[in-house]
Amino acid sequence: MPERSLTRREVLTAVAAAGVVSAWLPRAAVAQGSLANLAPEEPVDKTVQRLFGARPIRDGASIINLDLPLIAEDGGNVAMSVEVKSPMTPQSYVKAIYILSDKNPRPLNAKFILTPGSGQAYVATSLRLADTGDVRAVAEMQDGTLLMVKRTVRVVVAGCAV
Amino acid sequence: MRGVSALGEVKVRAPGSVARGSVARARALIIHPNERVERKEGKPVDRNYRFVNRVVVSYAGRDIAEFETSTSIGENPSFGFAFRVNEPGTLKVTFFDTHGGRFEGAAEVKLG
Repeated sequence: MPERSLTRREVLTAVAAAGVVSAWLPRAAVAQGSLANLAPEEPVDKTVQRLFGARPIRDGASIINLDLPLIAEDGGNVAMSVEVKSPMTPQSYVKAIYILSDKNPRPLNAKFILTPGSGQAYVATSLRLADTGDVRAVAEMQDGTLLMVKRTVRVVVAGCAV
Repeated sequence: MRGVSALGEVKVRAPGSVARGSVARARALIIHPNERVERKEGKPVDRNYRFVNRVVVSYAGRDIAEFETSTSIGENPSFGFAFRVNEPGTLKVTFFDTHGGRFEGAAEVKLG
């Protein structure tokens, strides 16, 4: 292949494209963690309303098992696991599990989106809890039905600002 | 323990062999500060906090779960979850953070 040097037009186009990319990339990557991009600080009832609107939330005690310690020595690291009884078939599965901590300034700890490929509606992680209070698990079924359970955790040393 | 764990190091633990059609459980861990929001005189300080905000789990090339996470998950976040095994494959867990970080770990699962 014969070599040739770049034309003026090609150089200018490349420089312009690089400029666009470098101006765009940092904006896409940076500041996702700024306060404006976090969930708002609000009472838990507001979070529930923001997430689920006026949809009814039924008692999930018969099918949700939310496991948390009664007393957490360190609010910065509280082991949590939750399992919802479900066949996890395309006809009947849990599509999301929400974990909310009533006393956290931003109550939603996490939303776990599941599929039939998950096999079981089971998730586990460690939470930061700001204070003694309820932790809720809300299960959203494939048909939109919402079910909830709560557990009270006594926090000895708070997870500070979370 | 040998060596220093570096930010973004991911470990995925899953059973090495699973019976076809059964459900297995796995755990994924990432070394990450998962920063919490600082407060000064009761007010949250505004800066670009570095935390894991998304985790994607795939098995045998298909996405099976996605977690939307926050500053209120503990430091060095770990996640337990289940997955249905109909064929051998790679269990892959990808962590994304608010500073554009993308960190991946995997485990091979065989039928047995």
